[in-house]
Amino acid sequence: MFASTIRLEKEMPLTPVIQTKALSKSYGAKLALNAVDLDIEAGGIIAILGRNGAGKTTLIHSLLGLVRAKSGSARVFSRRPGHALNRQATGVMLQDADLPESLTTREHAALYAEYYDRALDFETLSQLCELGEFEDRLYRKLSGGQKRRAQFAMAVIGQPELLFLDEPTTGLDPEARRAIWRVVRALAERGTTIILTTHYLEEADRLADRIIVMDGGQIKADAAADDIRSTVGGAVIRCVTTLDEAQRNALPGVEWSRQSGRLMEMLTRQTTDTLRALLDADPALEDLTVSRPSLEDIFLDLTERPELAAQGDAL
Amino acid sequence: MSRTLRVLTAETGAQILANLRQMEFIIPTLVMPAAFYTLFAVVLPGSSDNAAYLLASFGIFAVLGPAVFGFGVSVANERERGWLQLKRVVPAPAGSFVGAKLLATLLVAAIALAEIYAIAGFVAGVELERSVWFSLLGVHLMAAIPFVFIGLIIGFFMPSNGAVAVSNIVFLGLSALGGLWIPIMLFPPLMQTMASYLPSYHLAEIALAVSGAPGERDLAGHLTSTLIMTGLLGGGAVLAWANQRS
Repeated sequence: MFASTIRLEKEMPLTPVIQTKALSKSYGAKLALNAVDLDIEAGGIIAILGRNGAGKTTLIHSLLGLVRAKSGSARVFSRRPGHALNRQATGVMLQDADLPESLTTREHAALYAEYYDRALDFETLSQLCELGEFEDRLYRKLSGGQKRRAQFAMAVIGQPELLFLDEPTTGLDPEARRAIWRVVRALAERGTTIILTTHYLEEADRLADRIIVMDGGQIKADAAADDIRSTVGGAVIRCVTTLDEAQRNALPGVEWSRQSGRLMEMLTRQTTDTLRALLDADPALEDLTVSRPSLEDIFLDLTERPELAAQGDAL
Repeated sequence: MSRTLRVLTAETGAQILANLRQMEFIIPTLVMPAAFYTLFAVVLPGSSDNAAYLLASFGIFAVLGPAVFGFGVSVANERERGWLQLKRVVPAPAGSFVGAKLLATLLVAAIALAEIYAIAGFVAGVELERSVWFSLLGVHLMAAIPFVFIGLIIGFFMPSNGAVAVSNIVFLGLSALGGLWIPIMLFPPLMQTMASYLPSYHLAEIALAVSGAPGERDLAGHLTSTLIMTGLLGGGAVLAWANQRS
């Protein structure tokens, strides 16, 4: 049903949908974006991953024309961000942006349908976004997950070519999160370019074709989801040991190490050398495992580095 | 229907619907003016003499509520909840949101006025020339402009819980001190001086002059004061808007 109503417009496939060059933005003394270079072509799910304050939302707001950059350039559909034609082709779900409280989702959709040239009819939208159980309830009476789904529905009602989702699933229970993932995948299969920010590694891992890791206003890594693990390489060693941090970091090949509960974790580039030295240094060592780096390990490696490793548990 | 007109209609409809579902909006806008007018012009002893006089000032009161609450409280709320930001990323025609808010305010104000006019004409026995009724309606609706600016200043400057309190203070203050309920001739001199700094006072005097109420009035003076105050409030609203955006 949905497939029959959507029309893909494949004009100028070589033009990037989004292009930024040395994009910077500061709030007072804080540099929220620091010389961001980004090219995004049509199609696929791109996850921008980073902790709170990494610059994800500022990047999205710059691409929407909600904030003006201090320097550098940003183009969306080869136009300035916020251009009327861009808004017609773009769907947006902002973080912390509520819909009017005293209207129902059906009434919100009726208003949004007037904004867009080719809005979905409500039945299609309701099925797609699974609004059925609450579509005629006032927004203020919805649960957190239902509110996010209503906001999500407003983002997709115009059948956008480009969809921005700023932390679409933050604070949602697993079922509500999976419901949003299902629709995101369905839209991506139909050719929508989807840019979502998240601080859930699992979300990026499950959904994205491409992962961009941001920290401190900079892009720390940008690769296909399958390739991003190889940007780090090496292995993660976990064990129970009495060695302190200075001793651990002095072992050959160790990039960083941290205590995580009872276990010590370390990332190494030279697995066998590190293991040999580790076993020599601590004969009482227990519960040893060696594994490929998970996305979380990679994230720590990209954003923390040894001097910040102590904060790693906050993730 | 053109696209702009369709969006404006839908947006205005949504505004009115949302407003009418909130008791905190309905009571000061659609209940209080008619109730107060009934009390002062119909129920209280000796009131029938005052009914025509009070019609002019209570009409101003009826417009004040929708403007201050419809803009002050709702803009503060919508700004704080990110709704205004969301409006800037959808392809709505420029100005349709504020235009719809203004239309919604005027429509609600028109309902509030209709209530008072009906009570005046059918219950209190006020008799005016048809042309005078229409002139009065014109003055009452124009009064919305300075009050909307006041609402916008509150909406852009205040956090939403503060905006409710400030809107109530402004609403009741402009009404009572501006002589909308009791003529300022009955006030002590200091309060009469204070009233001359309030747009509600000058607007009520203009409405009284138009309705042919007894007494000498400096119509040109009241018009000048109203225009100056409206200009200042308009400038304040633009400043408030510019500051919240950046």
